[in-house]
Amino acid sequence: MPQMRYREALRLALREEMQADENVFLMGEDIGVFQGAFKVTQGLLQEFGEKRVRDTPISENTIVGMGVGAAMTGLRPVVEIMTVNFSLLALDQIVNCAASIRYMFGAQVSVPMVIRMPQGAGHQLGPTHSHSFEALYLHVPGLLVAVPSTAADAHGLLKAAIRDDNPVIFIEHETLYGRRGEVPENAEPINFGEAVVRREGSDVTIIGISRMAETALKGAEQLAAEHAIESEVIDPRTLRPLDLDTILESVRKTNRAVIVEEGWPHGGVGANMAALIQEQAFDWLDAPVARVAGGDVPMPYSKPLEQAAFPHEEHVVSAALSTFRDL
Amino acid sequence: MASDVLMPRLSDSMEEGTVLKWLVEAGGEVSRGQPLVEIETDKANMTYEADSDGVLLEVLAQAGDTLPIGEPIARIGQAGEASSSAAADAEGGAEPGENGGPGRDGAPEVGADAGPGQQQAHADAAPVPEPAATAVSAAAPEPPPPEAAGGNGRIKASPVARRVAGELGVELAQLEGTGPGGRILKADVEAAAIRGPVPHEEGSQEATDEPPREAIPPDVVTAPGVSAAPETGAKGEVTVQELTRLQRTVSRRMAESKATVPDFSLELDVDMTLCIELRDRLKEQVERAPSYNDMVVKAAALALREHPRVNGGYRDGRFELYSKVNVGVAVAARDALVVPVVPDADQKSLGEISRQARRLIERVRDGEITPPELSGGTFTVSNLGMYGIERFTAIINTPQAAILTVGALEKKATVDERGRVVARDMLTLTLVCDHRILYGADGAQFLARVRELLERPLSLAL
Repeated sequence: MPQMRYREALRLALREEMQADENVFLMGEDIGVFQGAFKVTQGLLQEFGEKRVRDTPISENTIVGMGVGAAMTGLRPVVEIMTVNFSLLALDQIVNCAASIRYMFGAQVSVPMVIRMPQGAGHQLGPTHSHSFEALYLHVPGLLVAVPSTAADAHGLLKAAIRDDNPVIFIEHETLYGRRGEVPENAEPINFGEAVVRREGSDVTIIGISRMAETALKGAEQLAAEHAIESEVIDPRTLRPLDLDTILESVRKTNRAVIVEEGWPHGGVGANMAALIQEQAFDWLDAPVARVAGGDVPMPYSKPLEQAAFPHEEHVVSAALSTFRDL
Repeated sequence: MASDVLMPRLSDSMEEGTVLKWLVEAGGEVSRGQPLVEIETDKANMTYEADSDGVLLEVLAQAGDTLPIGEPIARIGQAGEASSSAAADAEGGAEPGENGGPGRDGAPEVGADAGPGQQQAHADAAPVPEPAATAVSAAAPEPPPPEAAGGNGRIKASPVARRVAGELGVELAQLEGTGPGGRILKADVEAAAIRGPVPHEEGSQEATDEPPREAIPPDVVTAPGVSAAPETGAKGEVTVQELTRLQRTVSRRMAESKATVPDFSLELDVDMTLCIELRDRLKEQVERAPSYNDMVVKAAALALREHPRVNGGYRDGRFELYSKVNVGVAVAARDALVVPVVPDADQKSLGEISRQARRLIERVRDGEITPPELSGGTFTVSNLGMYGIERFTAIINTPQAAILTVGALEKKATVDERGRVVARDMLTLTLVCDHRILYGADGAQFLARVRELLERPLSLAL
């Protein structure tokens, strides 16, 4: 099975879908001549030409707005917002248009577009450039939300996102772009709403979102090595739709759940998921659902403070332990 | 906002009042000065008027209820307002706009604090950042502080522990939780289910009436569990054995007896010469002659009939005297102690007692004894003579008044009437008595009577 980086897997998905469907095209800042801020689109301008790989002005609301319009006319735009931070400038187009139009017009038109953007902290970019916004987009009905954490998932989910007739918020992670992983030859799209169990265990269920899927897995290994606790680690892969069944099945087995996300705690993905778990599996819980989240602060610039403000495996370990005993 | 209507002080000497009649129905509108309720004081019946306009939201004291002055008897508020409990909660919690800061901030934080990321939560809605050191070291999950375990008396158990306890029939109140803050976890319930139910606490009529051993067939109670992981230490390898249900019952009841019964022992030697003669003669008649123990049982049964308190028990500050004389015979079973009962032993012939006792003992040893055969004992005889034990004391099988122990039948040097030292076949009987029901003289008279019957054993053969 070919090994490739997460960014290369994304590029492969884009290329395959562009080859398969001439309606698929790309728009974004610096994605063509500059080959992409994170080099995801490297080589695609040369391969598909300026008509299908379009560099845009620095105007996010316009980029998304053009994408919405193109999608309404039957094209399948994949727009890249350089980072999730800049998507705030396009919120009107994303929420009021992309998410709503199909509903406003009684399904006479659809908006089959993908909005790709990386997120994440850890690069000393301060409060304005370090966001994790999956919770923000999960909040909006009408949007699908994907949060791939491996090369294979990045590939398979992006293919599925492009083929889907709903607008998809496709959240990548800056730290994951360089991660290598196996991507099967001729891999099929990965269905939205199918979680994957990364590690089987019987003692506690740990749900890691986006990059935190990786952190959750490391925490699980530490729990096994140092505390003889076998964790079941689940990566939901898409938050809307959410594969709650897989999560509940695991929680019914382990009776404990820990949710790990990089974003803020209030109104976070974990807050929502904890509510769902207790609503559906209350009588199976041995402890309150534990959440590990980023600090409830604008991201500090200082490196030590920044590191302290988003979760690492030790936080996963102590949160999991807190479901067993007093710490 | 709703306000309480309190039991009014309608006279100087009034301490409490009785609601006679509500003049407005719950839900009805009232205006200030309108007659609201008739109240009986120590002096007279008086009509009390509403002191505010609004709706009678809730009547807290019904007609006939007597309450001290100052106690709420009703609530008056605006139509559609929450009634007392909800209103009280709202007051205790957040009243947005009125209480401002702490109240409003408190509400959302409860949820956030329940999980890790707790420290971040402190910043909550306010845009003012917390001091960096606190706010930023954020991601570390801190468990919520342990909840007060007592207070409302609710048992702290996880939802799944409650469900599993219900399924397995485990009483949560009996368990000690190993989870955070002492929470009872599923594993605690499952472990308790494996150990078996904790026996009923003493005090319930049923539990003390019938000795707990009877609930457990001996075949179930043998075979103790051995734990998998032996510890090692200065004593070498330690094999930990879990108690069977019967063993746990026995240990608890014995400890309880020893801890609560003020016991004393009386001892005397019985000359068994004539019993031996009797038995030798009976052997000529029947294949299986009664044992000496059977004779002791018979003698005790006859003496018990004459000494009702010995055939009784002390319980809850009272004497209980039993009309039947049911003598239990302690039998060592596999890994357990079982006391099958010879009912109506005073009514039975020595031969009947003998046959029945033998059958019971066999059934115990074969593990076939059933609970009815173990129940209803009013007195106990325990015999270790076959092991050469000369004399011993035993622990009273509460609530019975006494237990009689039988030592070995041995030739001993005794002094006869003429002052000569002669060898006689002697048996030592020890009566352990509960001093709360049997005093020294009571026990002594009973024991002397047993000796008298054994030394003139023809009366046993009647």
